Amino acid sequence: MAKSEDLARIISGCKSGDARKLSELVDIYSGRLYGYFYRLTGNREISNDLLSELFVKLVEKIGSFKDGSFEGWLFKIASNLFYDYLRSRQRQEKSFEVLKSEFESEATEGKQSSDERIDKLQVQLGRLDTDTKELIMLRFYSEASFKEIATMRSEPIGTTLSKLHRGLKKLRELMGD
Amino acid sequence: MNGQNENLKELFERFVEGEQAERAAEDIRKGEQILGENPAPQPDEELIADIKAEIAVSLYHKKQDTLRRTAYKMMAVAAGFMLLAVVSVKLFEKGGVGPEKTINSPVALKAVWDNSADETLTAEIEQIESDLVAMQSGENSSNGDEAVTELEMKLTETNGDFWKG
Repeated sequence: MAKSEDLARIISGCKSGDARKLSELVDIYSGRLYGYFYRLTGNREISNDLLSELFVKLVEKIGSFKDGSFEGWLFKIASNLFYDYLRSRQRQEKSFEVLKSEFESEATEGKQSSDERIDKLQVQLGRLDTDTKELIMLRFYSEASFKEIATMRSEPIGTTLSKLHRGLKKLRELMGD
Repeated sequence: MNGQNENLKELFERFVEGEQAERAAEDIRKGEQILGENPAPQPDEELIADIKAEIAVSLYHKKQDTLRRTAYKMMAVAAGFMLLAVVSVKLFEKGGVGPEKTINSPVALKAVWDNSADETLTAEIEQIESDLVAMQSGENSSNGDEAVTELEMKLTETNGDFWKG
């Protein structure tokens, strides 16, 4: 991960429209953001689209980033994009249950052997409700503190803690650990 | 504070008892450990290259838009200055005529409706009236035709003065 001074320099370059600095941001965050989208959708194509859209949004909005946690700010955009995507899918008259079964079937198809455990996690994640799953992914991939996550989600820290605790406990049970 | 450096036990202790807080913190650590042990796939290099190219295109359009907006603003300011310059030159070319006219107009009106002019006209009309009465009563000793001609001349003169202001 980039040191905070390096990150500040990169962000400053991005704000002044330096394409190389934006490329650096892509290199730093694309893995984590892709993981976040993939774990939520279980679909590579959709994750590719969401990741591309996110960086286009980043170019548009980087000027509005002030102080505070850059990761928090970036993952808030990612979270909004994910929910926008869900809403657009729902508008296409597909219920969440259909989406969930789609994610599950996509996740279970194909990959075996070395990817078997990854698929298992994806299947079990599909059994959690969207909000809990999103919270777990936000915490894991953004590496933000509970305080920051609570702020991002506009809820009390106690609520965030309790939701995440319940969600991870359930995931552990589902994974048979 | 980064999430990885957070003291989960301390955080939970704000809401639950010591032992319970420790268990909850442990649940979270183990849960997140599962996620760490099962990494999500990484994005393709091709995708990353596409994203970087897309960013370059977005930046180009953004710069073009900024340039266009700046150019429009400058054009608007330049047009404003040009308009101001044209108006100033026109005013300068006309010199004092324009303003004088505007000053003269009220003066001319004042002359027509001025009390002193009004009084002069009234005095002249009264003079003509008294001459006419004198002529009718035969008081005026001079020739009647001459008196009428003189009266007509006076009337014409008074009429002319009135319209001249």
